[in-house]
Amino acid sequence: MTFVDFFVGFCFLLGALSAVVVAFHPNILYAAVALVFSLLSVAGLYGALGADFLAAAQLIIYVGGIIVVILFAVMMSEDVYKNRGVGGWKGFFAPFIISVAVLWALLKLVNQANWPRIDVPVREHTVEAIGRALVGPYALVFQYVAIVLLAGLIGAVVIARPHYHEKSSGSNLE
Amino acid sequence: MSLPEFLSGINGLLGLQIPLLVFSVLSAVIVILLFAMPVGGICTYIERKVAADMQERVGPNRVGPIGILQFFADGIKMFLKEDTIPKNADRFLFNLAPSLVTAGSLGAFALVPFSKYVIGADLDIGVFYVMALGSLVSLGILLGAWASDNKWSLLGGMRGAAQIVSYEIPLGISVLSVVVVSGSMSMFGIVDAQAWPGSGQGGGHFWNVFHNPFLFINFFIYFTAALAECNRTPFDLPEAESELVSGFNTEFSGMRFGLYALSEFADAILFACIATAIFLGGWNLPFVDLSSIDPGIKIGEASLTPLIQTLLMMSVFLAKVSLLVFIVMWIRWTLPRLRVDQLMDLCWKYLIPISFVNLFLAAIWVWVFDGRSLLQLLGLSLGIGG
Repeated sequence: MTFVDFFVGFCFLLGALSAVVVAFHPNILYAAVALVFSLLSVAGLYGALGADFLAAAQLIIYVGGIIVVILFAVMMSEDVYKNRGVGGWKGFFAPFIISVAVLWALLKLVNQANWPRIDVPVREHTVEAIGRALVGPYALVFQYVAIVLLAGLIGAVVIARPHYHEKSSGSNLE
Repeated sequence: MSLPEFLSGINGLLGLQIPLLVFSVLSAVIVILLFAMPVGGICTYIERKVAADMQERVGPNRVGPIGILQFFADGIKMFLKEDTIPKNADRFLFNLAPSLVTAGSLGAFALVPFSKYVIGADLDIGVFYVMALGSLVSLGILLGAWASDNKWSLLGGMRGAAQIVSYEIPLGISVLSVVVVSGSMSMFGIVDAQAWPGSGQGGGHFWNVFHNPFLFINFFIYFTAALAECNRTPFDLPEAESELVSGFNTEFSGMRFGLYALSEFADAILFACIATAIFLGGWNLPFVDLSSIDPGIKIGEASLTPLIQTLLMMSVFLAKVSLLVFIVMWIRWTLPRLRVDQLMDLCWKYLIPISFVNLFLAAIWVWVFDGRSLLQLLGLSLGIGG
C-alpha cells in the first residue's frame, strides 16, 4: 500500500464518518463542525487526484466562506443549546427510500462505467487548463453564474439595509 | 528546487541513500520548529522592546543579556501553567480550536520562498493555497470563541470571523493583480520574475511594487488587509482589551493561550513573508544578481556555491521580512483602534473598489505594454537593459 492509497482511504473514511455525524448528531453545531471535516476530506481527495486548484478552492470557498456563514446562522439560532428532535421512524421513511434509490443508481453507474487505470500519479498544470476553459468554451456559463451572484448580493443589500422610507412615511401618516 | 529536493541533493553528495519522504518530513520540522516557532517567540520579545522604546520605558531586561531570553522564560511559564477549562465550555471544540488556528498559520509556511533552494513545496497554486489555509484561522477563532461559553469571547469571535471573511476579498484581489503581472501563481515563479532587469535572470521586472503605479497602490491595500487578517492594531477588534477583556481567547490559559498568541505572531510573519515575496522581490536586490555570485570554494568535489548563495538570499529575504514586521509593530503603538462600522466601511467602501479598479488597470497595463514593467520601459527608452 503506497502513501497515496493510505491517504485516499483515510479521506474516504473521514468523509463518510463525518457525513454520518452531520446527518444524525443531535446538536446542530456539532453537525456543522462535522460538515467541515467532510468538506476537508473532499479537498483531500481532489488533492490526491492531482487537482490542486480544486482542492484549494474547496478549502477557501466552503471552509472559509460557507461554513463560517453556516456557523454564524447556527450560533444566532434560538435552539442551538437544545438537541434537535429526530422524530420517530416516520421522519426516516421517505429519506431512506430516496437514499437507497440514489445508492442503487450510483452503484449501477459505477459498475457500468469504464474506469481508466493510471498507475503513475499525474501532475499537470491544472490552473491554466481551468482558466482557458472558463473564458473559452464555458464563458457563457461563467458569466451567467456571475449574474446569479450579483442578484444574490443585491438581494442581501435590499434585505439588510434599514427601511428609512417606510418609517418616515409611517410617521407622516400619524 | 524545493527544500526536500535540496536536502536530498546534499545527501546524494555525501553518498547516503535516504528516501525523499524523510526529507519532506524533515523540512516540515525545520520550517516549523526552527523558523516559525522561535521567530514567533522572539517577536513577542521584540514587540515588548519596541513598545517600551516608544513609551520611553526599559522593557524586559531581566532574563539574559538585555532580556533576550525573555521569550524562553515565557514559553516555560506557558507550559507549566494550569490548563483551565470553564465548567460549561464545550470541551471538544475548546480543545480543537487552538489547533485549527495553529495548523492554518503554520501550514502556509511551506510555501514561503526563503531562497532559490529553500522553499518547502513549490506548488503551481502557491499564493492561492496560502490564502486557502488562512480560512482555517477564522474557523478556529469562531469555534474557540463559541466553545468558551463567555459572551466577551463570543463577541470577539464573531467580530474576528466577520473581519477575516471581509478583508480576504481586498487581500485576494491585490494578490490577483500580482498574479496577472507575473503570469504565475507559484511563489518561485513570482519571485523569479522580479529579478533586476539587466541581470539576464528570470523575468527582469524588478520588484512588483514598482512594476506599475497600480501595483504600488495595491501593495498598500495588501498591507492594510493583511493587518486586519492577523488581527493586529488598528484592526484588533476581536481582542479589544478595553471592551472585551481579551476577546476570543479570554478563557484560554496555559499552552492553549500560547498557541493562539504564537499563531498570531506567526500570521504576522507569514503575511510579511508573502508581501516580501510577491511585492518586494523576495531575495532579489537592485543592481546585483545574487545567483551569479560564485566564490568558487570547494570541499573535496562538492562546491559550496549553492550554500553560500542560499545564505545570501535568505539574509536578503529575512531582512525585508524583519523590516515589515517592525513596521507592523510600529503601527500597533501608533494608531488607535477602529470602530466596527469604520472597519467594515474601510473594507467594503474603499479597499474593495480601489483594489478592483487597480486589478483592471494593471491587466490593461500588461496588455498595452506586453507585460513590461515601468523600469523595463525606462530602460528601453534609454537603450539599456530590457
